[in-house]
Amino acid sequence: MSIRAEIKYKIMKDYGAPALMALQDFKRRKPRPIPEAFGPPLDSNKRLKEILSRHYFLSRYARGVNKVAWVTSGAPVELLRAFDFYTIYPENHSALVGAKKQGADYCSIAEGSGFSQDLCSYARIDLGHMLSGKTPAGKLPKPDLLFCSNNICQTVLYWYKAIAHELNIPLIHFDAPFVTTEQTEADINYMAQQLQDMIPILERVSGRVFYLDVFENILKRSMETSRTWGAILDAMKAQPAPMTIFDAFGHLAPIVSLRGLPVAQDYYHILMEEVDTRVTQGIGAISDERYRLIWDNIAIWYKVRFLATFFAERKMNFVTATYTNAWAETTGYLNVKDPWNSMAKTYGQIILNNNLKHRLELMKKMIKTYSVDGMVMHSTRSCKPYSVGQFDLRKAITTDLDLPAVILDADIADERVWSEQQIHTRLEAFCETLEGSKHG
Amino acid sequence: MMIPNRKEYLKALANSGQKIMGVLPALYPRELLWAFDIHAAEIWDPPGEILHANAHLQTTICPIVKRSLEFILKEPDIINAGYLFPHTCDSLQNLGTQVKDLIGVSLPVYTFYNPKGSFNNTTTRYYRDILQNFQLSMEAVYGPLAPDKFLAACVLSHKIDSHLMAIQQARMTDHLSLNNAEYFKLMRAQEYLLPTDYLSLLEQVDILDQPGESPRARMMVSGILPPTPEILEFLDELGVSIVADDLLAGSRRIPKFPMDAPVSPLDYLTDRFFILPPCSTRGGDLDERLHHLSKHMNASQAQGILFDIVKFCEPELFDHRLLVKTLRGKNYPVLTLETELENHISGQDKTRIEAFTELLFEMVSP
Repeated sequence: MSIRAEIKYKIMKDYGAPALMALQDFKRRKPRPIPEAFGPPLDSNKRLKEILSRHYFLSRYARGVNKVAWVTSGAPVELLRAFDFYTIYPENHSALVGAKKQGADYCSIAEGSGFSQDLCSYARIDLGHMLSGKTPAGKLPKPDLLFCSNNICQTVLYWYKAIAHELNIPLIHFDAPFVTTEQTEADINYMAQQLQDMIPILERVSGRVFYLDVFENILKRSMETSRTWGAILDAMKAQPAPMTIFDAFGHLAPIVSLRGLPVAQDYYHILMEEVDTRVTQGIGAISDERYRLIWDNIAIWYKVRFLATFFAERKMNFVTATYTNAWAETTGYLNVKDPWNSMAKTYGQIILNNNLKHRLELMKKMIKTYSVDGMVMHSTRSCKPYSVGQFDLRKAITTDLDLPAVILDADIADERVWSEQQIHTRLEAFCETLEGSKHG
Repeated sequence: MMIPNRKEYLKALANSGQKIMGVLPALYPRELLWAFDIHAAEIWDPPGEILHANAHLQTTICPIVKRSLEFILKEPDIINAGYLFPHTCDSLQNLGTQVKDLIGVSLPVYTFYNPKGSFNNTTTRYYRDILQNFQLSMEAVYGPLAPDKFLAACVLSHKIDSHLMAIQQARMTDHLSLNNAEYFKLMRAQEYLLPTDYLSLLEQVDILDQPGESPRARMMVSGILPPTPEILEFLDELGVSIVADDLLAGSRRIPKFPMDAPVSPLDYLTDRFFILPPCSTRGGDLDERLHHLSKHMNASQAQGILFDIVKFCEPELFDHRLLVKTLRGKNYPVLTLETELENHISGQDKTRIEAFTELLFEMVSP
């Protein structure tokens, strides 16, 4: 650890980051007008932006103070927190690039260097960033370590392997066997042992010693944060729902990328309080909620505003999503007294690492408990584990629950895949069916 | 050397009462199936038009997955003991649960997880556990496993591996009088012949005492499946020999070096899995794969390499860029073709192959 780097980091933390926040506040003096179809925006949005901006801003100064790790969204990051790694989530960063409608630019850089256009756009954006240094976040630190788990897809392993080779840095992979029926004792032992095997490597890379009590506290915090996130999502059972799922796509960022840190824990308490107040006061996220929808798959980041407005104008609100639920669903397995096995159960059974029977049952349960009237599935060419099986899931749900459903062919972050006319036609037809089914 | 037709052979086997399991790509403990008297008929690229699978899968899913599903949806009589989905990639992973849990087929569906990433003692122990769990799932249907049959199956597998290694070596050094089409037909016959029949076939292969005539040019091929028969025949016409391969359906399923004869089946199968060549689908190390490719390019004196990439195959596409970049850096000519496993060769691909082989010819006699 360098004293100079530490002083610089402290100055930026105490003075630089607040100055940046003030500047952002100044720029936001004239907020964009809110369309009539929406209710009042969440006050927590401001705090969310502050937290994320601060995290990305301070990451520039992290090297020399903490070791930097690039981590996948489903990886058991709590272990890294015990070694004080400064974590960056390339998926989160790629979503940010996508939301700014810059995905195609970054993808083109990766494609120009030889990566296929058929690869996941999160990966292509990240590789484009790695090859060019471009980022809307100003600057991102180069990693000292890569940490991935194939519990969300095998793609992350291939992707991180490519980065590890390019940057010549270590990659730690947490192999999470796919749950075809249920986790076996062998699966749990395997994952638990892998986590313990990682400790000496993490000690070597970070230069820090592992303390079980520190790790247990982090785990406890992570567990509590995920529970709060789950409770926030539960609050959307209220009619009208206090948030839309498009809000939740944004508010998801801390649970994904700051999980295990006090800042995420504190943030969700603030959001929970606001959401609870809105429920008590009957304040809805859209001004006249007549229809309630479920979203399946990752967001279409470059069209979030378009989709939010399109549906809100038709009095339709997305009140739940398989995607946002993923960071709350398996938290119940975490147990501080049995950290390794419980982490194996938590991280091994998340939706994308679980069979489609499980997913179907989960979706049916969500549809019932959130009083859902219709379903929109995003079939994304970037994510095979999320998309392969959707046609049959849709068929099962429409047949068993008599629920209108539509599939949108698009991509998570590469806006070149979006076909405005085709999507519009499908959405209009879906809305007509939905209106007919509820009133017909 | 007569190699029976796949469809007719399997049909005759099924009619004779043989238990046949349809197995999807790529790595699975075939020896355990054999020990239960189950024949493994591998499903990689069944021919024919894709009609029904399109109702279940997106357009951006790889043709191996689509063709496999099309085959399964037809509920062919030749498969009577169920389907096995080894864990190979995201698409095959999901296809397994899609077929089992959503589409539903009349036969049982089994899965087999292959560990991913870098391997150590923890992985080795786990792989052994997976084998034992798979054995238990088979025993639940077919009764207790006979230890002597299990050992005999491993001995048979060991003999097949030994022959394949010798044949590969002979191929690299021109000690084999088979053209490209014949060679890969022989390699792929293991996908559907009974192991005893396949061993007999391998025993008939004539390995020459002295090197035969050298081809006009020598090439290595990398990818999932061998190039289509049309491409192989075209290369034969041009006088180019594929002298080594890095194919998932080929040498990536044969141990890197000879193993001792099996004594304990579980130990043997565990050891065998971990000495397979590096493979994208197992999340293998890129440096190790590069080293493996370079070694085989050198040993076979291949002048260039053909990457025959199955469309939308993520594991291969991620590794591809670095492999191409590094091999070009070593002055190896590289050609990449993308295949949807159709039974024809496009005019464009033909021209590209011709241009590529011209380059190889120039390297041989500048």
